[in-house]
Amino acid sequence: MSKRINETVSFVVRFTQKIFEDKNGEANVQWRGKISHVQGSDQKNFIEFEDALKFIQEKLDQLTIANIDGKTDEEKEGILTKSWDIWNKMSKAYPKMVLDAIKDPKAQVSQIQEQIAQVSGELSQKIEIDSWRPPSKADYHKLEEMMGQMSDQMKTLNKKLDDLSKKKSK
Amino acid sequence: MSISEEKLNELLSKKNQADLLVETLGQLRVIRNKEELNDKSWGRDKALQLFEFLVTARNRMALHKEQIIARIWEDASQKEGDNNFKVALHGINKALEPERKSRTEPKYISRQGLTYRLKKEIVWIDVDAVDELIEFANEQLEINVDLSILALKEATKLFQGIYLPNRIYEDWATVERERLQVLILGAYILLGELLLGSNPLESIRLAQNALQMDQTWEDAHRLLMNAYMHKGNRPSAIKAYKNCVKILDKEFGIEPLPETEKLYQEIVSG
Repeated sequence: MSKRINETVSFVVRFTQKIFEDKNGEANVQWRGKISHVQGSDQKNFIEFEDALKFIQEKLDQLTIANIDGKTDEEKEGILTKSWDIWNKMSKAYPKMVLDAIKDPKAQVSQIQEQIAQVSGELSQKIEIDSWRPPSKADYHKLEEMMGQMSDQMKTLNKKLDDLSKKKSK
Repeated sequence: MSISEEKLNELLSKKNQADLLVETLGQLRVIRNKEELNDKSWGRDKALQLFEFLVTARNRMALHKEQIIARIWEDASQKEGDNNFKVALHGINKALEPERKSRTEPKYISRQGLTYRLKKEIVWIDVDAVDELIEFANEQLEINVDLSILALKEATKLFQGIYLPNRIYEDWATVERERLQVLILGAYILLGELLLGSNPLESIRLAQNALQMDQTWEDAHRLLMNAYMHKGNRPSAIKAYKNCVKILDKEFGIEPLPETEKLYQEIVSG
């Protein structure tokens, strides 16, 4: 009988609602979440649902990597690419993070998050909503530069993944 | 004896009247005619697995054999699944009724065509007892608090640990496990609050039990602070608050609720 592969990842999400009056006497509501990975029994508490999504993505990525072990480099690449495409559709806001999580689960994710936060910060500082104007050439240059940087980063990450796959196949 | 007292007695005596007892909390124990079944009684793990599944699905209508196989042995081929089911069902009936004559109906597992279920009406199951006791305690809160306390004590006593710990990686046991954890967390807090005046030491123990299950459960942190104050132990109450702040910050990056802050202010201002 051939070796059975695990194809299922399950999660239990618990939300606890807290309704309270804040310091200004205003009614407020808070959702405290906890997500548990059934097959691995890891857990994560969260306030932002994005954190739960990250947790799910990490586990799905681990499953994909575990299940492509033993395949050729070409097959691996194909499966990973298709898997990321699905993620692109399912979770538009986090496609890059899946890639990051596959390679270096936390460090790279937080690094990119920081960069995105930095870029958003710079943009919001540059373009004041009150003095809205069409983008200038300088803005285009800045955007081009940033997209170039991100594209380089993707290339580096892809290279790392290829190296990783090669190492595994050896 | 009042009607409420009679009802509680009835709930508590169910265990003595049943000849098959199933304990699922903390570890699985099956006791038939006062004798505990051991691993050998089940033969293979498949039998135990099917039995635990039927216990978990006890509140559903009878399940079709195919549905059961799909949930427990989802990766098995049809032939393997059928074989597993046959072996497992035979194992259950043999374990529960070793002296049953062939061609007689099994006593505990009901079969109608290709659907099966556990006859829960003739079996005592700890999780059902917990449910009934907590439901009774909630009903009695505004009628007879003493009975409510009694029922909650019995319910929490039955909670010896998580539901079917030997199946923590199985999907089908997860929902029931989560439901019971939340139910028991609520029971710990309610009982702890009801006992604050008469037995704060017990309230401390209950709060600690709740925190062991979920360290972010803020109601339990507050109960602990309150219980220490009832014991006249202000330093421990302050320590409990600080621990609450630390955990909520670490796990969620948030501050405690205003209710908790208010309690802390009352504690420090004496």
